[in-house]
Amino acid sequence: MPPLNFSIIRQSTQLSSARRGTLAITHAVSETAVVANTQTKSGFESTVRESKKRVIETPGCLMYTAKGSVPHLTPDTMRLQSFGGASVSIEHVLQDYQPAGFEKFPFNLATYLNLQDFILLCDIRDTSKFVKVPFNSDRYVSMVTHQGVRQLTLEDYLKCVRTYEPDVLASFSDFVSDLEPGQKRVRKSVDRSLKWLDQLLMERQGLDGLAQDREADMKKKENQKKNSGEASSAKEPKETTPAPAAVTPKPWKDVGVFAHVLGSHIEDERIRSATETAKRDVEGFIIDATSLAGSKDDVQKLIKTSLDNLPSNKPKVVYGMQAPEDVLKSIALGVDLFDTSYPFVLTEDGKASLFSFGPEDSADAKDERIVEPRWINLWDEEHADKFVPLMTGCECYSCKGGKHTRAYINHLLKTHEMLATVLLMSHNMYQYSRFFENVRKSIEQDTFDQYSQDFMARWGTEPERTGEIHPVAAMVEASLHKRNRLDDDASSIASGQQAPKGKGEKKERVFVNKKEKRLKKQQEKLEKQPSQ
Amino acid sequence: MKSALKWDIVAKCSTTKARAAVLTLPHGPVNAPVFMPVGTQGTLKGITPDQLESTGCQIMLNNTYHLGLRPGQELLDACGGAHKFQSWNRNLLTDSGGFQMVSLLKLAEITEEGVQFESPHDGSLMLLTPEHSMSLQNSIGADIMMQLDDVVSSLTSGPRVEEAMWRSIRWLDRCIKAHKKPDTQNLFAIIQGGLDPELRKQCIEEMVKRDTPGIAIGGLSGGEEKDKFWRVVTLCTDLLPPGKPIYCMGVGYAEDLVVCVALGVDMFDCVFPTRTARFGNALTANGTLSLRQHKFKDDYRPIEEGCDCVTCKTYTRAYLYTVVTRETIGCHLISLHNTAYQLRLMRQVRDSVIEDRFPEFVRKFFKDLFVEKSAYPEWAVNALRSVNIDLMEDSP
Repeated sequence: MPPLNFSIIRQSTQLSSARRGTLAITHAVSETAVVANTQTKSGFESTVRESKKRVIETPGCLMYTAKGSVPHLTPDTMRLQSFGGASVSIEHVLQDYQPAGFEKFPFNLATYLNLQDFILLCDIRDTSKFVKVPFNSDRYVSMVTHQGVRQLTLEDYLKCVRTYEPDVLASFSDFVSDLEPGQKRVRKSVDRSLKWLDQLLMERQGLDGLAQDREADMKKKENQKKNSGEASSAKEPKETTPAPAAVTPKPWKDVGVFAHVLGSHIEDERIRSATETAKRDVEGFIIDATSLAGSKDDVQKLIKTSLDNLPSNKPKVVYGMQAPEDVLKSIALGVDLFDTSYPFVLTEDGKASLFSFGPEDSADAKDERIVEPRWINLWDEEHADKFVPLMTGCECYSCKGGKHTRAYINHLLKTHEMLATVLLMSHNMYQYSRFFENVRKSIEQDTFDQYSQDFMARWGTEPERTGEIHPVAAMVEASLHKRNRLDDDASSIASGQQAPKGKGEKKERVFVNKKEKRLKKQQEKLEKQPSQ
Repeated sequence: MKSALKWDIVAKCSTTKARAAVLTLPHGPVNAPVFMPVGTQGTLKGITPDQLESTGCQIMLNNTYHLGLRPGQELLDACGGAHKFQSWNRNLLTDSGGFQMVSLLKLAEITEEGVQFESPHDGSLMLLTPEHSMSLQNSIGADIMMQLDDVVSSLTSGPRVEEAMWRSIRWLDRCIKAHKKPDTQNLFAIIQGGLDPELRKQCIEEMVKRDTPGIAIGGLSGGEEKDKFWRVVTLCTDLLPPGKPIYCMGVGYAEDLVVCVALGVDMFDCVFPTRTARFGNALTANGTLSLRQHKFKDDYRPIEEGCDCVTCKTYTRAYLYTVVTRETIGCHLISLHNTAYQLRLMRQVRDSVIEDRFPEFVRKFFKDLFVEKSAYPEWAVNALRSVNIDLMEDSP
C-alpha cells in the first residue's frame, strides 16, 4: 500500500486544469498533540487533539515553518488555524552536531516539533524564498543553516529521514542556486537529481542505494595512491579489500516521496526532468519556482512545461507562487499544494490582508465597486484611531468579536511589541486558509474560472516588494536606537522600581537581524538629506 | 476616602506574618498573595490575553507614563480605557509614572509642580503632575491606580530623601483631590523614605491618615543591600493597618517573593520573569535554566517536570535551545512558562498559608532552589528568622 493516498474529487470541467482533491495518510495513526491548557474550575486541563486521520484538502497549503515552528505562533495559537499540513526545512532544524547526535534523539520530528496532528513534509531548503548558496557537488548539496553554510550528503539525508520519519520527504536534488545558469549546469543538475532519486528510492525499499558511491570512492582512493607514487605508499597487501559491507539499511516505506522536477529556464531540460522523474515510483512532485528568474508569466510558463509532462493523478507542490493571483494561475495549471509564506511575509511588513475569493458573504460589500486594497499596512498612521477589527466579519483570533482593533495593532507596532506580529499572523494565516477554502468550493461548483477572473479584476496584482521600510517603522527604530539604554531601563521597569537583572543578560537587544541593518542604511540616507 | 475594593483575609500563618486573602476588584477577584505580571505598553511580551488568562492571571500591570505617550489620553478616552484597548477583561493596575523620573533621570526635571519629561520619541516636553497622572489613570481606567510619588534612588541618602518623602505626601493629597472615579478605581498611596526607619515611620503615619484603599511600599529594589531592604519591608508591614492590602513594588525574584510574603506583603510586580525570558532564561523551582547554553542541545526533558504550561507540555529543552533568542516564539514560549511558574509559585505559597504549613513550604522552597544551606542568602535567613523560621536548623 502506498504511504499516501491522493484522490481527485473533482476535475474542473471548464477551461482550466484546476482540480479538487484530498491528500491523506494511509497508515493508521493515532497520535495526540497538546493543544492548549485551559483553566477550569477544577484546575488546569490540557486540551488534546487526536489525529486519527490526517488529511490535506487540495488545492491547499502546507504551513511554512521557521526553525520548526509557524513564525510567531505558539502551538495553541497556531492550532486555531485549519491547515492540515506543515513543511519543515532541514536547513532550519538540523544542528551542527547532527546527524551524529541522532542517537540521543528520542522521537521523530513531528513529536519533537509538536506537529503530530499534521501531515509533515520535509525538504532541505527554505521554501519561502531564494537564497543563493555555494555550489553542490556529486556528493553533497549546500544549505544555509543558522550556523552557516553546510554541506549535506545523501547519506546524512537518509539518516535524517530514518530519524525524523516525516510523512512526506522531498527528494534529494541538485537545485541550481543561480538565477541564470548555463545549459551545462542545468543538464548536470537534472542528471544528478535523477541519480540521487534512484538511490533514495532504493534505500526506501531497504536496499543499499549508496553501494555504487562507496565503490567509486574506493577506486578514486586507489587511483590517488597509485598516482602519488608507489614509493611513498608502502606495499600494502590489503589492496584487495572490498568496499565495506553495508549493514542492510532499514526501509522506510511509510514515508512518501515527492520528487523535485528541475530544469531551470531551459525547456528541454524541464521536459526531460519531468518525463524521467515521472517514470520513478514517487507519490508526488515539487516544482521550486523561487529560483526561476523572469516575469511571473514566464515562470508560470516554465511551471506549465513541467506539469504537462507529469502524470495528472499525482499531487504537485509549487514553491514561490505565493501571492493570491499567482496561486490562482498555478491552480489553473493543475497545482495542488502551496505554502503559507505569503501571510508570513505580509505579517513581517506589518500588513493585514483584506482580499477574499468568490462572492462576498455580506451584502453591503457588494453594493459599490469600492476599490479596496488587497491589504492594509498597520504602520500607517491612519489606523491609529480606528477601533475596528482588521477586516469586517473576519472570524480569526484577532478580529473575532472585535477583540483586537487596528488601533491596538498600530500601537503594538509603534511600541515594538511582539504581540503585533502574533495578531497579524493569526489574521493573515486565517484569511489565507479561507481563500483556499473558497477556491476549493468554487472548483466543486464549477465557478473557479469565473471567480478567478473576478478576483484579478477586483484585487489586481501584488505590487513588487521594494524592501523599503515604512517611514513610521524607520522612525520607531531610530528612536529606539537612540535611547536604547534608557529605554531598556524604562520599559523594563513599568512598576515604580528597578528591575533586578538576570544573570548573563546583555544590554543589547536580542533580535538584531538583517532588517535592522537595512534600516540603518536607510536612516543614514535620510540623515544626509537636508531637514525640512 | 472611598474604596472600590473588598479585602477579605482568608487565613493567617500561625508562625510568620504571612496571610492569604481575596482582593475583590471591579474586574473580579484576585487571590493574594499575588504576583502581577507587567505589560508596560498594554501587552505582555507577545502573550495573548487569552493565554495570560489561562495561566490563571487575575491582574496585570500597565504603565501610565508609557500609555500616556502612546497611544495617548485622547485615544484611550475614545476607545473607553485600557481594558478595552488591549482586550483584557480582568483587573489592571497602573503605575503612576513616578519611577520613570529615576529611570529616565536625564530626561526628567523634578519640581514641586511635577516632573517634566522630554519625550524620548520626538523630544517634546510632557509635564507629569499629580493631577495629570490622575487624569491619565482615570482615562486608562485601571482597577488600582498609584499615586504620583517623588522617587529617589534607594542608593541616595541625605536631605533629598526626606524632601522626596514629604513631597510624596503632598502629592498624595493632590492625587486624592484630583481622582475623579473613586467609585470604580482604587488609589493606592506609596510609602517613601528611603532606607531611613524614622522617615518611613513618619511617612506611614501621615499616609495612613489619608485612608487610601491600599498602600504600597515604594523606593526599594533599586540595588540597595538586601539586608537593608527586608528591614524596611518588615518595618512597614508592622506599622501599616492590617485591614488593607500591602503592595511591595518591583519585587520579582522567587526568593524575594517568598520572604516578603513571610514579612506580610500581599502584592508584587516585576518585569523580571518576562524580561529574562527574552534572553532565554527559564525559571524553575531548582533555579534558572539558561537555555542558550550548549548543554541543553540533547536535553529532551521539558523545562520543568510537572509544569502545566503550554511550553512544558509541548516542547523539550533541546528544541527551545534552538529557538531562544532566534525566533520570536522562543521568547513567547519562555515568557509563557515564566509567567506560569511565577503564578504557580504564588498559588503554592497561598495554599500553604491557608493550610497553615507555610514554614514547611519555605524550608522546602529554599532547599529546592539553593540545595546547600551554605548557599542560602544570608539576608533571607535573617529575614525569615525575624518571623520565626530558622532555615539553618535541621528540619523536624
